Amino acid sequence: MKAYAQPIKRLIAELAKLPGIGEKTAARLSNYILRATEDDVRKLAESIIEVKRRIKLCRICLNPTEDDTCYICQDKTRDQEIICVVEEPDALAAIEESGVYHGTYHVLHGALAPLDGIGPENLRLNELLLRIGSGLIKEIILATNPNVHGEATALLITRMLQEKNIKITRIAMGVPMGGDLKYIDKMTISKSLEFRRGM
Amino acid sequence: MSARESHKTAGFVLRLLHYGESDLIVTFYSSDFGKLKGIAKGAKRSKKRFANVFEPFSLTNIIFTRKSRDMLAFIESCEIIEHYDIVRRDLEKTLTASYFIELADHFCPEGKKNEKIFDLLQTFLALLGTGKASDALVRFFEMRLLKFAGFEPALDHCISCKAPIANGSSYYFHAREGGIKCASCAKPERYDQPISAGTVRTLLMGKDMDIDKIKLIALTDSLALESRNLLVGFISHVLNREVKSLKVMEQVRKFCT
Repeated sequence: MKAYAQPIKRLIAELAKLPGIGEKTAARLSNYILRATEDDVRKLAESIIEVKRRIKLCRICLNPTEDDTCYICQDKTRDQEIICVVEEPDALAAIEESGVYHGTYHVLHGALAPLDGIGPENLRLNELLLRIGSGLIKEIILATNPNVHGEATALLITRMLQEKNIKITRIAMGVPMGGDLKYIDKMTISKSLEFRRGM
Repeated sequence: MSARESHKTAGFVLRLLHYGESDLIVTFYSSDFGKLKGIAKGAKRSKKRFANVFEPFSLTNIIFTRKSRDMLAFIESCEIIEHYDIVRRDLEKTLTASYFIELADHFCPEGKKNEKIFDLLQTFLALLGTGKASDALVRFFEMRLLKFAGFEPALDHCISCKAPIANGSSYYFHAREGGIKCASCAKPERYDQPISAGTVRTLLMGKDMDIDKIKLIALTDSLALESRNLLVGFISHVLNREVKSLKVMEQVRKFCT
């Protein structure tokens, strides 16, 4: 770092704050930025600022969007009676990539994590309750992660909604497609046998 | 340069810390080394080497190397012994198990072996699997953990006049002095809550009671409240910090009523 001029040092220090970027990678990126054209660098800087300025959470599902509501909530052809509850926007993106789900979503922005002090008050559950209160919703799909935190969150939502007349479903658990049974851990195997289906 | 020694032990997963893009720093409570901290390289990416093992309160078999006792262990491999699947299927049980391991984490210093605490975790997590997450189970766990960690409160006599517990009397708990005082020694203020001799006797009984009998005990509402206030107050005084899982447990109860 010593050999670099002060502005480069500052750029390296800023880049190194990004997740997964160490000092060496930050130095490599700053060298790329130095060599890039002024136009490319301006586009990069503007896109970072634009993301911060224009992205907000969808008023309905809390997915990041640049409008008041996201493109999924605006799409009237989607099934408005089903909500798929996910922990984070990247889980929503993964389900959308599959192309098989045509309902709406709700992003909790976290999962119940007792050891980290993350409780129901830290999750966007009240917004979900408000949506359900409208009386339009027929089914809730709990697509939280299949780990202790995700399972606890799914159990919490189930308990919250048990008095309501809504179908509550949980995404299936088991062996992944293209997997090899001999490499699968015993809990996944036991879940796949528990949730086996008729043929 | 000293060579890395390889070790194998069983341990409960207490805590995870995300380190960099793909590594995890895992804290275990192990049978042979007490509280143990180690780095699992590539754990967030590896679906084969560390698949599903670093879940809170799971019991695992750990193989690790380290240069010396005060250095971070390098986790070579980790296999599941017990997932406590029945606990994970129940919200109340999951919250209680989280509370157990958080207390074990706070009360145990790193690198100090205490087999009794390891056995306590194993026994009470198994009890959670087979029975209810009752108030009695939680209070008796707290009593035993305090005892094994060297913070057992003095409940069998008044800490001032040394008079043993008498039926029908009221007592006052003094967290700072670590024990109860009888009504005449305590000089209670109006806002001090008395504790019945029945509550004190139940806690003393639960500390050494046979494991098989614990699930048969059901505390009355007043007994549950008194014993909770006494032990939770004492634990937060000793730790001088907030127990996060307890706060979440209370939030969940409030949210679901």
